[in-house]
Amino acid sequence: MFRVMLYSQWKWSRLIVLLGSVAGFALPIISVQGAARADSSPLQAAELLRTVQSWGVLYPVLAATLGLLVAIASWTPDHRGRHVYALVLPVPRWRYVLLRFGAGALLLAAPITAVLVGALLASWSAAIPAGLQGYPVALAVRFALAVLVAFAVFFAVSAGTARTAGIVLALIGGVMLVQVIANVARVDLDLVGKLQLVVLNWPGPLAIFTGRWMLIDV
Amino acid sequence: MTNAIEIHNLRYRAGKAFEIRDLELHVPHGAIYGFLGPNGSGKTTTMRLMLGLLRPLAGRITVLGDEIPRDVAHILGRVGFVPEQPHLDPILTVRETLAFHAAFYSTWDWSWAERLLRQFDLQDRQPFGRLSKGQKGKLMMLLALAQRPELLVLDEPTDGLDPVVRREVLSALLDYVSQRQATVFISSHLVHELERFCDWVGVMDDGRLITEVPMERFKNGIKRLRVSGAPRTPADGPFVVLAREPTNGSGETWLVRDWEPRMASYFDGPGVSLHEVIDLDLEDGFVELLRTFRGPRA
Repeated sequence: MFRVMLYSQWKWSRLIVLLGSVAGFALPIISVQGAARADSSPLQAAELLRTVQSWGVLYPVLAATLGLLVAIASWTPDHRGRHVYALVLPVPRWRYVLLRFGAGALLLAAPITAVLVGALLASWSAAIPAGLQGYPVALAVRFALAVLVAFAVFFAVSAGTARTAGIVLALIGGVMLVQVIANVARVDLDLVGKLQLVVLNWPGPLAIFTGRWMLIDV
Repeated sequence: MTNAIEIHNLRYRAGKAFEIRDLELHVPHGAIYGFLGPNGSGKTTTMRLMLGLLRPLAGRITVLGDEIPRDVAHILGRVGFVPEQPHLDPILTVRETLAFHAAFYSTWDWSWAERLLRQFDLQDRQPFGRLSKGQKGKLMMLLALAQRPELLVLDEPTDGLDPVVRREVLSALLDYVSQRQATVFISSHLVHELERFCDWVGVMDDGRLITEVPMERFKNGIKRLRVSGAPRTPADGPFVVLAREPTNGSGETWLVRDWEPRMASYFDGPGVSLHEVIDLDLEDGFVELLRTFRGPRA
């Protein structure tokens, strides 16, 4: 069962997975390109850190994008068939959802591996100044966690109907609207800030996306 | 005879406009049960309820001896379903679709599937999304049959297919049923088609089952009678008068249900005579039944 599910999802997500893998492989290599040139003198440590950090912003973006697109692709065949075919298959629904989730998560192993390989190559080829160190495995593990968190969140949202997605969007929109009204009325209310603290700060569910994503650090 | 499908006091509501009320339905084991009704009468909803796709508000559904929704996964492994619209993955090829489906059914029969693939002349490398309507219909039937189900639930499986394809699909179905003694629950707008092979018929309208009888009784029981000299209010007869319309003079045309030839003696009274008993085919009977159900004129 898992094999056919994986194959079906591969057909829907292969372009996303391939492009994501290429991007995941290229990103660490590009981020240290200045330091990797053997003919030029090594970059100063501060300059290298600044470069690596500026490129590092793209890792969580790539992770979120991959999670979103693969989650959508996981449910596309069922959404198109209005879930009728899926619901008449002789498996409990929780198992069907688990099969879809497992297949999507496994497909994401390709871009995660690409990030790991890219990061290892980049660390190996770069002339890292004294006092700095490469963290390819840590970066890849963090990328893997971020991709899986994004995939899980978007998988849950896109499993629902358009109405469910509408409710989620309406909730977010409602919070924003209350904040805007509070600002206009000069009421001391920082709803968005508090929400950001809860969601994006440790141990918030999306804390993995924030902070510095450094392939090379002190 | 036990029943393959039993529904008791089923109640379901979809919005404010549509409701299924106190539905009682019984499909005997081994029967080919034709499920008739106009568009929007609740046929598809009833099928979805009996397969656990929808949750009823009240009532009890038993399919092949097990209860829905408690044993739904177990039941679905023994049921072949052809939905009204083809709902398969459009980018999988015919061969990939078969492999996907086969993985979920322990009873899947590859040799039978290959035979049907050839019989239906389906190209196994063609994506499902690029098949014609007829080819999609054939593939849906192939999937339902090759899993060797005990019960087939078919929601207008030949709707929109040309007569040649329709015949191929139905012939494969009947071939299977004769081999396996499977039960078939089939809905269709093509009343003449059902008349040919169904042995039971259920008619639904506005969320209610109007009648559920063996096909022969349905076909032979509804008649149009030409009578004359009948009293304005007829006494209770052995048959049910569904409608009466005046013709010329003192003559009238009656539409009756549950008619049997011996009931002609009902018209033996003075001044009353029965001139003609006109047979109605299934379609006429179905239309008249609906007409009288919606607005009795008797």
